[in-house]
Amino acid sequence: MKAAALAVGLALSTALGSFTIGSADAVERGGTLNFARYDGSKLVDPIYADRNPDIWMVGSLFSTLLEPTADGTDLVGSLAESYEVSADGKTVSLVLRDGVKFSDGSPVTGEDVVFSLDRARNPDLGPWAGLLAAISSVSADGGNITISLENPDPALLSMLATFNTAIVSKKAFEAAPGATDQEKSAALFAKGGPGLGSGPFYLSGFEQGASMSFAANPHYWKQGEDGKPLPYIEGVNFQIIPDDATRVLKLTAGEVDIAEFIPFSRVAELDADPSINMNLFPSTRIIYSPINTREKRADGSPNPLADERVRQAINYATNKEALIGLVLQGAGKPMSSPVMSSATRLAVDMSPLYGYDLEKAKALVAEAGLEPGTEVTLTTLAGSADDATIFAALQQMWQPIGINLVAEQVDGATRGSKNRSGEFDIHTYGWVDDVNDPSQVTGWLGYYPTRKAVGTGWNNADFNALYEASSTEMDPEKRADQYKQMQEIYAEAAPLLFMYETPFAVAVSGKVDGYLQTPLGNNVFENVSLER
Amino acid sequence: MAGIQYTLNRLVLMIPTFLLVMIIIFLLVRLLPGDPAIAIAGDKASDADIAAIREKLGLNAPLWTQFWFFLTNTLQGDLGRSILLRAPVLDVILARLPTTIFLAVYAVSLSILIAGPLAFLAAVNRGKWQDNLIRAVFQVGLSMPVFYIGLILLTFLAAQLRLFPVGGYGETFLDRMYHLFLPAVTVALYTSAILMRNLRAAIIEVLDAEYVQFARAKGLPSRLILGRHVLKNALISTVTLLGLSIGQLMSGTLVTETVFAVPGVGRLMLEAIFARDYPLIQGLTLTFAVLVSSVFLMTDLFQSWLDPRMRLS
Repeated sequence: MKAAALAVGLALSTALGSFTIGSADAVERGGTLNFARYDGSKLVDPIYADRNPDIWMVGSLFSTLLEPTADGTDLVGSLAESYEVSADGKTVSLVLRDGVKFSDGSPVTGEDVVFSLDRARNPDLGPWAGLLAAISSVSADGGNITISLENPDPALLSMLATFNTAIVSKKAFEAAPGATDQEKSAALFAKGGPGLGSGPFYLSGFEQGASMSFAANPHYWKQGEDGKPLPYIEGVNFQIIPDDATRVLKLTAGEVDIAEFIPFSRVAELDADPSINMNLFPSTRIIYSPINTREKRADGSPNPLADERVRQAINYATNKEALIGLVLQGAGKPMSSPVMSSATRLAVDMSPLYGYDLEKAKALVAEAGLEPGTEVTLTTLAGSADDATIFAALQQMWQPIGINLVAEQVDGATRGSKNRSGEFDIHTYGWVDDVNDPSQVTGWLGYYPTRKAVGTGWNNADFNALYEASSTEMDPEKRADQYKQMQEIYAEAAPLLFMYETPFAVAVSGKVDGYLQTPLGNNVFENVSLER
Repeated sequence: MAGIQYTLNRLVLMIPTFLLVMIIIFLLVRLLPGDPAIAIAGDKASDADIAAIREKLGLNAPLWTQFWFFLTNTLQGDLGRSILLRAPVLDVILARLPTTIFLAVYAVSLSILIAGPLAFLAAVNRGKWQDNLIRAVFQVGLSMPVFYIGLILLTFLAAQLRLFPVGGYGETFLDRMYHLFLPAVTVALYTSAILMRNLRAAIIEVLDAEYVQFARAKGLPSRLILGRHVLKNALISTVTLLGLSIGQLMSGTLVTETVFAVPGVGRLMLEAIFARDYPLIQGLTLTFAVLVSSVFLMTDLFQSWLDPRMRLS
């Protein structure tokens, strides 16, 4: 990367607003939003958040130095008003915005930034420290922050816009009871109250597994359309309702304003309700199936899926549009990049990626010499209606190419164990990006040393070399080219059954404006207003 | 005196029961396929992270060592820390338990209130239209799954007629009575169907008994016959059934609490199983065992009061 001086203006910081639903001409202030969640948060701490219900809430309580734009394709300043990367890519300098405060009114200082980033990159603490492994030191001189790197890291700026690098108040954290970092973190979350973060809200109530509430941060630095500080609403009350049908009933009964994770089978019905806005937010969520590519199965028998042609054949024999119709009631689209969603940066549009072509599939299995009636096991999640539908559809779709698909039902933990041990033929899986950079998902799906290419055992030297080179490549064009090559190699090898992308289905009462769920899944409440 | 001796005997008998429960749950949890370390760390974690978690949780230690720690810690009141919730298991359970107990007591009370009078009405009108109607209606309650009854009640009484809230559990006592009415009725419909059938049959049997015929022949008033002779004797088998139903009801809370978004220990158990949270599953199972055993104990004591011959046996 050439000497990049990327000044980020204040104006960009309000870019989020243009992507949110609705746009009130005269925004009303006040009121509390009631939100029905599918699962509850356990610990919303930037470095310990490791489940989506925790990760997606971090941004409401804590601000990061940078933040992704609403469509997830770029970065803008948040607590930092500007940033600069040195010519050699080994130093990142940031300047804190003047007057930014934590939710108790105390100032956000360089010392807080150093404390937060040191905490985030400590491998003995949270699970995300590896994302910041390139950092050798963080220092501050007033509001000027300097991050020194061992080696250039093109993903670092994205990491500074990611939940795990959110800034916490050093003073508040150190004053918390507890002997260890974990104990202090748990004590702070249990207690709630202002002062720990500088996000649009602070935690005002929490009852494990039942409810959680946020109150507006009166010191939040962003301005609303009316020139006053965001957020518009006074707070958010979350109710944990795991059952899909009950969540929908809560919304239709008017007991909550928003219900998330609407089953796709209910989307059309809610869309027809004039009092509800049925939103399908673009996401980085992909549904795919890892294929065991090892020469032998775990039991030592020959693995028919080790042959690349057979894997290509099952991809051609799978009618993705039909699957989308059956499982998502049409609310999705086939994967267009083999290793990431189309909303992920550097995704190459290769659509149709293995478009339905039964003749080509038959030719490929014939070429591979696949015995008719070859048994292949699809490992599915027990109790998942989606997985049951996928199995029934694939069983019929693959029968003409000589594959006898059988099902094995397991729970999530068992599926995870099988994926790691390679004791599967093919199984259902899903992914949502956590960071605004393609390195995470590409490393997960294709780079062998990370996780044996999502457990498939696929180990391609060219792909691995490209991935390693891309992790220090600071020239955006060269990096984009490396990602293009990786996607081409991966598509050809087909270590996955490439299936589809799904949106985030969120039903929102007609009286709510400005709610957004980003492609990474983050729930954004700062622009929400309520008609009262 | 015989009553005290009987109570003490029953209490002593609970000790091997709990020990057996602890052994079974310890082994069953570990027989479940799926590595808890993977469930905790998530699919995205590295193999090194998984190995570190296994070490931290003591999962690499021999099974008997793990059991010894579990047993000795439990006896000292330490049920360990929940992996999922990062908090002491005992605290987590104690926070959720009152909600479930409230729901269970509420549901049992409703069951008795529904089943008692209707069983009596059906029994004294044996073979008449009142008897047939009551039995037919309760047959429907028995033949439908609990979650389905719950969803029907939610859809019509809560979402459409807005008579009750769709979910939640309220703050004050009265608020809780209101919020938990639908889940309690859902559970009670099923339980009361079983109780009603049993109580009706028992009343009919007692009504035909010689001592009742004799009481009638003596010219005792009907109210006295029904209250002192019929009801008390008919209750003996129904109390046993009620005790068993409460055990069944506790397992039913897993479904009911999920459908009605009630944050009790039933829903917590489901979360713990999916997350392979060993300490929490063990703690919850032990809690269920204590609750059910206590109910059985109370049932036995109540029965021995109803029928003193039981103390002697």
